[in-house]
Amino acid sequence: MMRDDIPWQLVLVFTPLSLLSLGGGQSVIADINKQVVDLHGWMSQADFVALFAISRASPGPGSLLSTLVGWRVDGPVGALIASLAYFVPSSVIAFAVSRIWNRQQRRSWQGVLEQGLAPLATGLILSGAFTVLRSSSGTVSLWLIVAAATAVFILWPKLSPLPVLLAAGLAQVSVGALS
Amino acid sequence: MTETAPKPAVTLVDIFALFARIGLTSFGGGLSAWIYREVVDRRRWLTEDEFLAGLTLAQILPGPNVINISIYIGQRLRGSAGSVIAALALLLPPMVVAVLLLVLFRNFSDLAWLRDLLEGIAAAAIGLTFSVGYRAARHATRSNRWAPAILALVFITIGVLRWPLIPVVLCVAPIAVLVARKTKKSA
Repeated sequence: MMRDDIPWQLVLVFTPLSLLSLGGGQSVIADINKQVVDLHGWMSQADFVALFAISRASPGPGSLLSTLVGWRVDGPVGALIASLAYFVPSSVIAFAVSRIWNRQQRRSWQGVLEQGLAPLATGLILSGAFTVLRSSSGTVSLWLIVAAATAVFILWPKLSPLPVLLAAGLAQVSVGALS
Repeated sequence: MTETAPKPAVTLVDIFALFARIGLTSFGGGLSAWIYREVVDRRRWLTEDEFLAGLTLAQILPGPNVINISIYIGQRLRGSAGSVIAALALLLPPMVVAVLLLVLFRNFSDLAWLRDLLEGIAAAAIGLTFSVGYRAARHATRSNRWAPAILALVFITIGVLRWPLIPVVLCVAPIAVLVARKTKKSA
């Protein structure tokens, strides 16, 4: 494959995934993996796993994985192209829908709709957290951290999350060091 | 054009500052919970219902949910400029951090203590999301007596049985809205 083709190939990989990532970014990670490792051979599986780990360690959305893949494949240009190809198409749709939803005056049916959707969204929030919990390594210490953090965040709704998260991370490191 | 519900005066600078801060400090995932906490609990820029409706939209539309919900919130607060600012502020600063980490550490996943640290942080982030779910559930139950049934249905089908999200949402959403409407009329 010609080197010049790579930016275009990145667009072809990430734009469809952007439009197909229904239900969130997690749903397409396996597909990104398959395409960049098996189909295009841009990197080894170990390389991809390392990029995934970095995307998890970084703050911000996990979908920054697309930026990292672009960078690894073609440097800054690749990072820019992969990010644009992944984030712009779905964002344009979200932009259009938000605009229509929030247009001009609020109508009473929107209030009813919002009230009706609230328990549904709540179910989705809890399902998402539960799914992530199930896919974690599930040691006793992790379950204790989840329980303790839930209690702390419920009891102090205005507390900044960052110190709690750092304390939890350090607790898990000490557990790992002791065992 | 007038807004029926008075909104607190939120400037574009406020939106940029908040979303950039969330983008840079939200370790461990569960960003929707971070955003809920800041936008609904701490600043009261949006009501719980407004946020949760936006979150439902964000989940069924393609694309990362957190980007979609940021676009929705920005749009709600300051129109088109607000949505662009919110999404860029959430994305660009952590993007720089991620690339720096990539350049600095090539063999990231080999460090055991780092893996433990990230796992602990992610576990606490799950707790953060559960707490937001708890508060949202309490709120939804107050205004709608069918809320617990709808919530349980969604949690069991998607969370426990792992049915695909989109079809479940498309089936449950009309039912949820209909019962909400009935409850409101009879109230």
